[in-house]
Amino acid sequence: MILVGELSLWIALLMCAWSVTLSFAGGVTRRPELVASGERGLYAGVGFVVLASAGLWTALLTSDFSLRYVASFTSANLPTIYKISAFWGGQAGSLLFWCLVLGGYAALATWSNRGRNRELMPWVTGTNAAVLLFFVMATALASNPFERLDWVPADGRGLNPQLQNPAMAIHPPLLYLGYVATAIPFAFAIAALVTRRLDAEWLGAVRRWSLVSWVFLTLGIVMGMWWAYVELGWGGYWMWDPVENASLLPWLTGTAFLHSIMIQEKRGMLRKWNVTLVVGTFLLSILGTFITRSGVIQSVHSFAQSAIGAWFAAFFVLALLATIALVSTRLRDLEAQAQLEAMISREAAFLYNNLVLVGIAFSVLWGTLFPILSEAVRGTKITVGESFFNAVNVPLGLLLLALTGIGPLIAWRKASVENIRRQFAGPAAFGLLVGAALLVLGIRKLSPIVAWTLAGFVAGTIIQEFWKGVGARRKMYDESVPRAFARLVARNRRRYGGYIVHAGIVILFAAFAGMAFKKEYDLTLKAGESATVVDPYGTRWTFTSEGLSEFKALNRDVLTLALRPEVDGVRLPLITSEKRQHRDSRGAPTFQPSTEVGVLSQQRQDVYVVLAGAIREDAEVRINFNPLVVWVWNGGLLMAIGGLIVMWPAADRRRRQVGYVAELEPQAVGAAS
Amino acid sequence: MSHGPADAPRSIGTSLAPDVDGARRTIPRRALLRGLGAVTGAVSLVAVARRTLGAQETPAANFAPMEQGAYRPTLRDPKPGATPQLSEAERDALEHRIKCQCGCILDIYTCRTTDFTCQVSPAMHRDVMRLIAGGYDAEEILDAFVSTYGEVALTAPKKEGFNWAGYLAPGVAMATGAVALTLLLRKWSREARATAAARAPSGVAAAALPGVSADELARLDRALRDES
Repeated sequence: MILVGELSLWIALLMCAWSVTLSFAGGVTRRPELVASGERGLYAGVGFVVLASAGLWTALLTSDFSLRYVASFTSANLPTIYKISAFWGGQAGSLLFWCLVLGGYAALATWSNRGRNRELMPWVTGTNAAVLLFFVMATALASNPFERLDWVPADGRGLNPQLQNPAMAIHPPLLYLGYVATAIPFAFAIAALVTRRLDAEWLGAVRRWSLVSWVFLTLGIVMGMWWAYVELGWGGYWMWDPVENASLLPWLTGTAFLHSIMIQEKRGMLRKWNVTLVVGTFLLSILGTFITRSGVIQSVHSFAQSAIGAWFAAFFVLALLATIALVSTRLRDLEAQAQLEAMISREAAFLYNNLVLVGIAFSVLWGTLFPILSEAVRGTKITVGESFFNAVNVPLGLLLLALTGIGPLIAWRKASVENIRRQFAGPAAFGLLVGAALLVLGIRKLSPIVAWTLAGFVAGTIIQEFWKGVGARRKMYDESVPRAFARLVARNRRRYGGYIVHAGIVILFAAFAGMAFKKEYDLTLKAGESATVVDPYGTRWTFTSEGLSEFKALNRDVLTLALRPEVDGVRLPLITSEKRQHRDSRGAPTFQPSTEVGVLSQQRQDVYVVLAGAIREDAEVRINFNPLVVWVWNGGLLMAIGGLIVMWPAADRRRRQVGYVAELEPQAVGAAS
Repeated sequence: MSHGPADAPRSIGTSLAPDVDGARRTIPRRALLRGLGAVTGAVSLVAVARRTLGAQETPAANFAPMEQGAYRPTLRDPKPGATPQLSEAERDALEHRIKCQCGCILDIYTCRTTDFTCQVSPAMHRDVMRLIAGGYDAEEILDAFVSTYGEVALTAPKKEGFNWAGYLAPGVAMATGAVALTLLLRKWSREARATAAARAPSGVAAAALPGVSADELARLDRALRDES
């Protein structure tokens, strides 16, 4: 199976090359048989990528240490779940995984459009195959997971302990699913530019793919935050690490696109801008991969660095140049009649929302790349860390939060003074009430007060919209509140799913602001000793050490500290934090010791315990009180649920599609177009 | 973009797929050769690129060992009659502004309280303690670390010289974008008003449609322009 996988990778490369050539040739000559052959070439290429993936998984699960990749990233005693996730634990495997996901998406895009968009499809298939060709080529030629060692070691080196976490079995695939999905809208944009069919047709095809990307990126980013929080041990979930930033960039531009697409759908405006956002989102995904893989910038993701960055840099430049060439020769086709009835309108609010989203993307990119720029200009290495990004992005984030509330309250085309007064009164009052309550409670920090006031305002807008909608349904159909709510959302998924996303954003921002009040304590405790500390809410916590203990687990030695927390005489569950020394199956140490934090998660705050080290009987421990952290995960999940609601196809649309596909032969449609 | 001639010769070449009417079509030999040439060229190009770019990564990249030798002493003579100027909380805040040099991305406070295997952050912490005891304030201590390690010792660049570009560029870009967008929206708004004025039914136009009043035309125009 391993040999089959290895050979499959090379055949996939040829199949992709075939698909690119035939699809583009079919597009140029408008010959359906070439197009069909190109599509079949793509399917075949994807099939061989699946075989190659199966080969690598087989090698990982059977611990075939003759493969360099298997020996480098697994050991015989590695738990099975991490043998599976080791597929994306290293450079070569994650590239193959990227091929697998991209191949799946490309095949799905081709298959689901077999009866639609036939004018565009040769170019869509060709572009997808070209991107897949690049990734297969990079995998086969530059970072081949099937490369064999000259000798077979008795055991492998094992997986980096930081990757031996359930979140790491889920976070990278989710992020890849998000990153890679940006390739499909990119392919449609290229197809629309080549064929000059830049009307709403291609937008309809890409909207759902953009949503797929957005939902997976959202989940992937939040899961990554969770991994960083529980695994890295520094007490936070976002450090503006270059790779974190790289995942945020396409999310920001993708979010901007999902808003601006509405203006093109309703008004036919912003053709150039939407093409730019779609292409930009894909290129930022590639740039993100370049940042992850090249190691040009120091990052917590240093386990993934290699010289493959040069490949991505080359591909990025090539894709950028090709797109610029296409756009510059089609400027006239991208012209649209842009008219705006009034400056105060939803269109204008959405455009300012786009400005802020793209502005944040720019500032994140700028901050990420500024160390390189500084070194190039001044020859001086600098670090651009959390304080820089917070200084620049917190104000922009708050502005974005405000616009999240303002946009939905303003009417399309033109908002009258009466309309604005009526719409804004309730939410603004609610927001101000929240702000006043915070002041009364004695909170004086500016950023959290502004964030929570704005969160109150946006929450007010969402409640108002649902209130009105549910009220209207109850009046019209005499429905109960839950039924009216459910049907309201089901009947207008785009609108109310969007509000659910906004609700997730509100929760997320409110939770972010909570971290302004976090408290940290360093304690040294012997077994049986206690220490009392005060949390951000003024509650006194007593922590008693239950002592240090040592034990051996499957692939590691563990030193663990158990702390018993107590509040007002009430004993809470034990919190344990560990120091781990991983070992291979022969007992030799692998990697440096790592820390596993202990977290007691509550609605109000997390109690976050880090065993920093032990000197004889003394346990050195850091205790953080991190307010509202659980709401970060809840907010992120709610955003993803909202995104799923938005992209879920309407029932009547599903029926129509099935009938349409059943009636027409794809090739006949291709020929007709 | 030029499209190939629809009546290009099809008789020579490889049969590929049934056409709509079931007949077999073939690819012209020239197109086939062009395609194969492109594939061969691409594979050769990549083979050359592979050789140029060097060998495959070493698995050592997975380990990213800490640079425990990165520590360099940051020492200053105590000031005459020195008294510490920073409280413990202020010291911790200061340590959040100094980056550990072990190769991690943490500040020295976070690094030294997270992982005892790092020997750099505790050593840097001891230097901070000595400097505080020597009567130095936060800015002087930061300067001392910069003189030892360079600006890379700070978690954020100082607000001076070229670094201002880092801090100001996002704001300048946003402000420029906001001004440009506002001007663009005003232009679009003016054009919309001009178009609406041109479309407004005049008495002449109304008269040209027998039986239709100016008011009815205006309502029709509004209805047509309103979104459904």
